[in-house]
Amino acid sequence: MKKVGLLTAAMMIAGMTTVNAQLIDEKDVTVTLDLQPVLQLDMSTPDQIEFVFDDIDEYYAGITHYGATILKVSSTVSWDLYAVGRSTGTNGPEFWDQQIDYGNSNPNAQPNLPLSLLELRQAQANNGSGAATGGFADYSGAFSPSSVPAGGNSLYVNGGTNTAPSANDKYIAGHAGTSGVAGQDFMEGGSYMNQNGVNSDYYYVIDYRILPGLPAIFPMAHDADGATAEDLVSVNGAGAYAEPGVYTMYVQYILLEDQ
Amino acid sequence: MHTTPPIKSLFVLVVTLLLFAIAQGQVHCGLVQIEPNSSVNAMMTFDSFSKYTGGYTINGVAKIRVRVEDKAVIDPLCSWNLTMIVDNNPAAGTPANEWEELNLYGIGSGQNPLVDALEIRIRNSCGTSPMDGIYTSFSNNMDIIDIIAPMLPVTPAGTCAINTNGPGSYMTNYDEFNFTIDIRVKPGYDFNPGIFQLNVKFKLEENI
Repeated sequence: MKKVGLLTAAMMIAGMTTVNAQLIDEKDVTVTLDLQPVLQLDMSTPDQIEFVFDDIDEYYAGITHYGATILKVSSTVSWDLYAVGRSTGTNGPEFWDQQIDYGNSNPNAQPNLPLSLLELRQAQANNGSGAATGGFADYSGAFSPSSVPAGGNSLYVNGGTNTAPSANDKYIAGHAGTSGVAGQDFMEGGSYMNQNGVNSDYYYVIDYRILPGLPAIFPMAHDADGATAEDLVSVNGAGAYAEPGVYTMYVQYILLEDQ
Repeated sequence: MHTTPPIKSLFVLVVTLLLFAIAQGQVHCGLVQIEPNSSVNAMMTFDSFSKYTGGYTINGVAKIRVRVEDKAVIDPLCSWNLTMIVDNNPAAGTPANEWEELNLYGIGSGQNPLVDALEIRIRNSCGTSPMDGIYTSFSNNMDIIDIIAPMLPVTPAGTCAINTNGPGSYMTNYDEFNFTIDIRVKPGYDFNPGIFQLNVKFKLEENI
C-alpha cells in the first residue's frame, strides 16, 4: 500500500512537470561561407613592344621603354609574382625565335640570342624577399651602364618553361618558400584598389631595355641568378655577334599563391 | 493486520501537492512559439574582390515571428525573452573563436575565419529590441546575445515600447512581434580560402 502511494505520487509529479514545463521554441539560421581564392593580375601593356636597332647609338646605348607595362595585383591569399622569358622554341627553348635573318652567312653571326638579354626594371622594390639567397632578389636595381656588364636586371629564364624561380633567382614580389613570416617570402593578400600613397606592393611599373653593345653580343644577358654571363662571346667564343634579323619572344607574368 | 499510518500518507500527499504547485508555478503562458520555426540556410559566396573588400550582406535572411498567448486563465506574469546563441560545432574540433571548417582551398594564410566576422542585425518596425538596427557579432562558441533580455518586467504589447515582452502575436502586433534578421560578413584578405559554417540559434522562452 505504501509503495502504491509513492508510485502514484511520483507519476503525478512527472505528469504535471511534463505538461507544464517552461515553454521554449527555437529557430536555426545556418550560415555557410564560401571563401573562394581570387588572384587577379591586371596588366596594362602594348600588345607588342618593338626594339628596332637601326642606328649605331642604339647599339651602344640600348633602347629602353619606360613604364611599358603596369602590373596591378589583387589577391585574397598570400602571393608571389614573377616574370619568365619564353619563346615558341624555334631556335631552342632558351632563345629568341628568329623570324627572318638579313642574309648574313658569316659563321660568327649567331642566330641563337638568349632570352635573358632582355632586361626588366621594376619601380617598386620587392618587400617580400627576406628569404632570398641570390645576389639579386628582384629587378629593382637601376639598369647598369653599357660599360659595366651586370645581371641584376636580366630576365629570369628556366629552360623555356614557366617554372617558378628558386631562392637564388629574381621575383617581382614575394619569393620562394613558405615560411609564413611576413616579409620573408610572400606578399600578404590585398589589392591595389585600396592602397594609398605613390608606392604600393600591389602596383608595379616595368621598364624594358635591350642593350646589344658593339659588337652586338648583349653583355647584360646572364643566367637565372644573374651570376653567370650569357653574352654571345661568353657562350660561343670570341668573335661571335648577333646575326641581323627579326626576333621575337614573350614575357610571361605569373601571379600565384605563395609556395 | 498491517495498515499505512495516516501520518505517512498525509506526508506523501503534502509533498506531492507541493511539487505539483512548484511545477505549475513555473508556467505563466499558454503558448510560446516562433512561426515558422523551420531552419534557414544562407550561402555566402565570395568570388570577387568587390565582395571581399566591401563585404556581403543578406538583408532579411530570416524572420523571427513570435506568438505568445495567455493561458485560459490569464496569468499577468506571462512574458517572454528572445536570445540568439552561436554554435560552431566544437565537437568537430573547431576552436572556440573560429568558424567550423568544412573544406579548405589551397594553402591560405593559416587562419580560418573568426566567429566575429559574422555580423548580425535585428530590426522590427517598433524597434522593440535595445539592439535594434545595430550590427553586432559573437566572439566565441555558445556566446549569447539578447534580443529581448530574460527576466525583464512585463511590458505589454500594443504600445510599440522598447522590450515589449507581454503576450501577443505577429498577426495582431506585427511591428512588435516580427523580427527581421540581416547578416553581413566582411572577410578582408586575412582568412584561409575554403568553406566554413556557423549556426545561429534563435531561442524564444517564456520568463519563469
